[in-house]
Amino acid sequence: MKALWFLPLLLLLPSRLAWAQADILGEWSPRVYNDGVDIGDYTGIPLNDAGRLRAESWHPDQIDLPENMCRPHPIDIGLRVSVSQLRITPELDPETKQQIGYHLLVSWQEPEQVIYTDGRPHPSANAPHKWSGFSTGHWEGNTLVYTTDHLKEAYLTRTGVPRSSKSTVTTRIHRYGNYLNVTFIINDPAYLTEPYIREYSWVYNPDQVIPPFPCEMTPDGTIIPAGTVPNYLPGKNDVLFDFANEYGIPHEAALGGAETTYPEYIKKMKTMKIAPRTTTTHYKRGG
Amino acid sequence: MFYRTMKARASGIFLLVATLLLLFSGQLAAQDFGAGQRGNAPPTPKTPREAAPKDFTGYWVSVVTERWRYRMVMPDKNDFPFVPLNPEGRKVADSWDPAKDQASGNECKSYAAPVIMQVPGRVHIYWQDDSTLRVDTDSGTQTRLFHFGSAAPQTDPATWQGYSVASWQGDERVDTRDGQGGPIQDPTGKLIPGRTMHQADYLKVVTTHLRPGYVQKNGIPYSANAMLEEDFDTFADPYTNNTWLTVTAVVTDPQYLIEPLFMHSHFKKLPDNSGWDPTPCRANEPR
Repeated sequence: MKALWFLPLLLLLPSRLAWAQADILGEWSPRVYNDGVDIGDYTGIPLNDAGRLRAESWHPDQIDLPENMCRPHPIDIGLRVSVSQLRITPELDPETKQQIGYHLLVSWQEPEQVIYTDGRPHPSANAPHKWSGFSTGHWEGNTLVYTTDHLKEAYLTRTGVPRSSKSTVTTRIHRYGNYLNVTFIINDPAYLTEPYIREYSWVYNPDQVIPPFPCEMTPDGTIIPAGTVPNYLPGKNDVLFDFANEYGIPHEAALGGAETTYPEYIKKMKTMKIAPRTTTTHYKRGG
Repeated sequence: MFYRTMKARASGIFLLVATLLLLFSGQLAAQDFGAGQRGNAPPTPKTPREAAPKDFTGYWVSVVTERWRYRMVMPDKNDFPFVPLNPEGRKVADSWDPAKDQASGNECKSYAAPVIMQVPGRVHIYWQDDSTLRVDTDSGTQTRLFHFGSAAPQTDPATWQGYSVASWQGDERVDTRDGQGGPIQDPTGKLIPGRTMHQADYLKVVTTHLRPGYVQKNGIPYSANAMLEEDFDTFADPYTNNTWLTVTAVVTDPQYLIEPLFMHSHFKKLPDNSGWDPTPCRANEPR
């Protein structure tokens, strides 16, 4: 018992550990630029042929299938393509109430993500995959760095560019004053030829209210005939190049690929054929 | 009995030493970030170059994964759905005429500090002297100077690259939690006052004295009253070991913007200057 006199000193330790963390908690209001809202716009994405084939077969009516109506975006996508008010709170151990990580909540479809910072391992490769996967993180200076795996298959854009269940996402959250930056590096051996980097910003907004997001499915067959999965067969997507034609972009360039993301590609595009423009006032349609 | 006593003492001494080591290591770590605040002797001043928490120098190539159609090809006039322009800004954007810029010698309007890191190309970052970090760009052949420790001179004329004041930054906070949501207390229950932490790990650059130009290639204006705030960070890609440079730019302009404009750009580190391709400013080319 005499040897236990030092125990009160240990109470000082949590405060010292807390010094190593920047304060990312709170309500954050999005300042998001949304790429890839047009069918056939795969620009800037290092897609491989398999990814492109999947993307080309995507049909917008798929959103109206009952199983897709309330399907949440995984958080790496949801923070980007939707109304993405963000709330970050501490994740507490239910028994000890010690902080064991961070909890992210996004407004649209209310996806949630827990980032464990207590050193626990990732589950077995055979463990179930979830919409927001399984995440563990650590602090690198003032940046919270975390790795997410065990993700379900999802999309990189709203218009069907796929991200496979084999993907791993490394995320870096950094607070710059009252701005919060989140950088995603998506590694997908199935559909990407190299890691895909994206970055978004939020502004601290303590008065923000994230409303509930109720979602109700309509019965099978209400919008899309039951048993039908809308799709485009290979080579049959007749709207695939509408985006490229509208913006005066070579068809090949609009379909993405790692090469298209480097400055040298600007010269290469000058040698490519561009279809006659269908409009130069596309901005009038809004979006 | 003797054995048990010795064992208890040994474990007690071990735990005491371990506890003191933990506390002492925390104290040492804290001194790095806040020695000056606790009345200790100030450390020997370092030059900004010596104090750099990360190495931003070298050759970097932009990787255009975001806003591709505004950066890799010439965007159409009036295409600015994500720029928070006010009516006056819209009016100026509506009058964009690249031929006029060309004729009046204002082709560098779209290569000025608020947008130059968005222009696809290569940048060379190096120390011009111990307190000036220099950025050369091949696109538009521009030079930016990041001055550490000096305020912008009031009399300096406005230029395309303006006057940039740089500093090493980290999050500063008054820590009021113990990691469990409560205040920090000592073993007697007495509250320990919050302390300020400073852990520099990124580069902050604030640029003013700007000659009016564009925040986007298609004539989206910023005024002489604009201020550019940039945060530079660098880190290794866990998948490929590439080194990334990320630049988050926030443009504030009371004349043309209703709220700050956020832009992100990403660069990959290069081993040398291969591919360096200096170009003049061009009003009708993406780079």
